[in-house]
Amino acid sequence: MKAPGEVVSTLSHVPGVAAAMVVGSADGQIVEASPMKGAAAGVPDTRKHTAALAAYLYSKVSRASHAARLGTPSFMRLEAERGNICVVGLSEVVLVTIVTPEANLGRVRLDMMQAAREKA
Amino acid sequence: MTEPTVVEPWVAAPLKRLAEDARLISGVLLHPSGRAVGQFGFSKAADVMSICALTSAINASSRELGRQLYGKPFYEMHHAGGDRQVFMARCMAGEQEFLFVGVFDRESSLGMVEIYFSEFQKALEKLIPHTEPAAPLPAGDFEGELNRSLDSLFGPIR
Repeated sequence: MKAPGEVVSTLSHVPGVAAAMVVGSADGQIVEASPMKGAAAGVPDTRKHTAALAAYLYSKVSRASHAARLGTPSFMRLEAERGNICVVGLSEVVLVTIVTPEANLGRVRLDMMQAAREKA
Repeated sequence: MTEPTVVEPWVAAPLKRLAEDARLISGVLLHPSGRAVGQFGFSKAADVMSICALTSAINASSRELGRQLYGKPFYEMHHAGGDRQVFMARCMAGEQEFLFVGVFDRESSLGMVEIYFSEFQKALEKLIPHTEPAAPLPAGDFEGELNRSLDSLFGPIR
């Protein structure tokens, strides 16, 4: 079982991942986070916001998935104008990555799933 | 969610937004002295009265505890109960200090409450009327002050 710091370090080195975080699924608080790549100096750090909202969103998506009798979601991706937010849920934490539009999403997904298996 | 009832009308909109965005079940905004400024989720004046008194006391104790332990006061507190959780924090608007206490369950999370509370703080800062601060009431008039604010929130007790 990998420590949160190792998981974050591994994921943050995947090409296209701007930031990787391990977040408490119940409280939405950051357990471990990598620095935000490419963030301009003086720009407010929004990782805390992203972490809380992504964990919250994942809990709602899980509910929808269970309501549709599809079981627990294994991977969630939110596509936005300037990139993606990817989430993989474990029991007590969720892995969250902020991904640039140029990233290879297949690789990101694979590495997040792999990290989740190792973390479990 | 019930609409907030307020003593100072300018806090109504930010309080409503905080309640909705952070999915709070109930909450009270008060002065550190224990005087209520606004509330949502409560229907009884007695409940708000107890919460104001307790929050004021907890705030005073936790500040002192922080000072004793770390040399600076604690300004935020979170208690996770079985079903419901309590978030308590102070916020500044201009020169005025307020305390907020909110209750939430699994429909929200501490992270969410913290995010929307920081937005609430910014909204208060922006909306606070720039008037001369009211003359301080005589020290020790805790009960009178509390009753006056409760009368404004729920109407005078007949």
